[in-house]
Amino acid sequence: MEIADLITPQSIIANLRATSKKQALQELARRAAEITGLHERAVFDVLLERERLGTTGVGNGIAIPHGKLPNLDGLHGLFARLERPINFDSIDEQPVDLIFLLLAPESAGADHLKALARVSRLLRDKSICEKLRGTEKTDALYALLTESPASRAA
Amino acid sequence: MIELLTMNLTILVGASLVVVSILTSVISFRIGAPLLLLFLGIGLLAGEDGLGGIDFDNAPAAWFIGSIALAIILFDSGFATPLARFRTAGGPAITLATIGVVLTSAILGAMASVAFGLSWMEGMLMGAIVGSTDAAAVFFLLRVGGITLRDRVRSTLEIESGSNDPVAIFLTIGLVEFITASSVEQGIWHMLQILIKQVGVGAVFGILGGLLIAQTVNRLQLETALYPLLVVALALMVFASTSTLGGSGFLAVYVAGVVAGNARLQHSAVLRRFQDGLTWLAQIAMFLTLGLLATPSSFPDVLLPAVLLALALIFLARPLAVWLCLLPFGFTRNETTFVAWVGLRGAVSILLAIVPLMAGLENAQLFFNVAFLMVLVSLLIQGWTVRPIARWLGLIVPARQGPVDRVELELPGQAKQELVAYRIAADSPVGRGERIPRWARPALIVRNGRSMNVHTAGRLQPDDYIYIFIPPEQVHLLDRLFARRAKLDPDDREFWGDFLLTPDVRLSILADSYGLPVPEGDRGLTVAEYLKRSFGGRLELGDRLRLGEVELIVRELDDEDNLAAVGLAVEPTRPSRPRLPLFQSWPELAALLKRRWR
Repeated sequence: MEIADLITPQSIIANLRATSKKQALQELARRAAEITGLHERAVFDVLLERERLGTTGVGNGIAIPHGKLPNLDGLHGLFARLERPINFDSIDEQPVDLIFLLLAPESAGADHLKALARVSRLLRDKSICEKLRGTEKTDALYALLTESPASRAA
Repeated sequence: MIELLTMNLTILVGASLVVVSILTSVISFRIGAPLLLLFLGIGLLAGEDGLGGIDFDNAPAAWFIGSIALAIILFDSGFATPLARFRTAGGPAITLATIGVVLTSAILGAMASVAFGLSWMEGMLMGAIVGSTDAAAVFFLLRVGGITLRDRVRSTLEIESGSNDPVAIFLTIGLVEFITASSVEQGIWHMLQILIKQVGVGAVFGILGGLLIAQTVNRLQLETALYPLLVVALALMVFASTSTLGGSGFLAVYVAGVVAGNARLQHSAVLRRFQDGLTWLAQIAMFLTLGLLATPSSFPDVLLPAVLLALALIFLARPLAVWLCLLPFGFTRNETTFVAWVGLRGAVSILLAIVPLMAGLENAQLFFNVAFLMVLVSLLIQGWTVRPIARWLGLIVPARQGPVDRVELELPGQAKQELVAYRIAADSPVGRGERIPRWARPALIVRNGRSMNVHTAGRLQPDDYIYIFIPPEQVHLLDRLFARRAKLDPDDREFWGDFLLTPDVRLSILADSYGLPVPEGDRGLTVAEYLKRSFGGRLELGDRLRLGEVELIVRELDDEDNLAAVGLAVEPTRPSRPRLPLFQSWPELAALLKRRWR
């Protein structure tokens, strides 16, 4: 599983505007719906449901919201840089400015976890996060996410 | 006049050695070298073959100084061990301290007799001399080293190192008597008798002595400064009287420390501080003396076999003994690996190597030189690498709370309450507005140098000093409120798991969200109930449980040790990935065998 299997340049948002966690998730759900052809509301509900089990704000300004949806044709990722950091109820109570959304089909099973593990490992790399924060171009962000050594299968 | 001059010179030399030792501690913290190695090195440097040229080879005097120092160190290490530690780690630690020492000594003894062409019994003696881990070295590296380990692992190592010296001492003295005894049968019978007497008398006198110390301290009204002296003198009395009556004085003084340290003592803060200082002095004195006693110019003769034997101890004897001893206790493979690695040898081994010297055994000098070199190798290899190895094995528990500005003040005449002063940090829970519980109402608040009471102070502000009367055992509950925020390192995310789960999430929901294999009967349980059941009711921070591809990790416990937050890692984390293809547990061994048989 590689990051390039999860995202396309179309699934990068270089400057997401949101003032709250809810708004950010809503906006991401809208974009995800555009890409996948799913219902926006359905995506949003699944994400919210997951947040109820415990926050996906993993700390160090990063959030990895995720969920499973029926009728999805495969794993889909969406990466967003936030224009301004928002409160995400993160583990370390720090505001979040990088979000990687991951949606998986109901039948994904182990692939869902593998993809999550890949994304979380990538965003544990301090230098990559710094570079992502300092980049404003969609193409460059895509390249950073997919071409760093940490984003390839070990 | 000349005698006076030598006396003064002796004092000057002794004091300067201690000063140099203390000053080098600064360097040691910088470069991370084991401090004890430095003390030993200074002793060597000052000795007959070093720059100092001090000619000291009075074995009985070294034994005398070393015994007193060791008794003080053991008493202190017992004193600082809470009984709760014995509950979490008593079983494995005591097994290591008894069976483990015998096993290590026997394995090593066999190798030593081959390596040096000694008789079997002499080989065993060599094994026994270096059979125990060193309390001073282990405590120092685990505490001062500033690493937070899982409670069970740390407690096991600490209790082991505190309680295994008596076993090694007994084995050594027993074997020396055995070798000097005329007939073999008399020897074995004699040894058994000594063993029973040593342990029995040692334990009984230790308990009685500990109770006596506690009673004396709490009953007497003395000048405050006299209490710590009284305690140390009483401890040494326990040591000496037990030894005189044929018991193990070292066991007794350790047990007495545990008993006294866990009793509610008045002036416990003063006692602690004094003993900390005294233990440092004891360690310095012991290592310096032993360094002085050694004659490095005679080392080259035995250098190669001694180093090989040390390597055999580190990589073969200790790991094998540890693995066998810990099999019944359900340690993970990485934990067993770490316990095996922290088998530091130290002053006790060198001290024990003096026994054959004093008994006038034929190969006495060989024993001493080999033991000395083995301790050097152990301190160098293991002492220097404790922290990186712990990190490599994923055993370091990332700090959950930042530093706390706290001062504890002793109240005269009673041990049930103490006065604690906290400085409020802006990013602490209290600084951010969390309320202080009712049972810890502040007695006094000092703001900008002016004191005020709770009613006039209004809201607490950063940099206020607040004074609270509280029973000593509740202090740690308050610390959480006043601690600064710990910075989350990305590496910590791997330890605790990236995602957070609230403990009352049902397993069914979790299983459906992540496709986890949960038995039908368990689907109704909450995550908290499931974890609690899996760990036999007692949870510790960092406990982790594999569930299909994910890991559930105990991330936060509340004041009553109930689960407050669970970490979820979506792939196996470092602590649960075995680093070595060794130290399998029973189930793993059974699985291996099964595969073979098919």
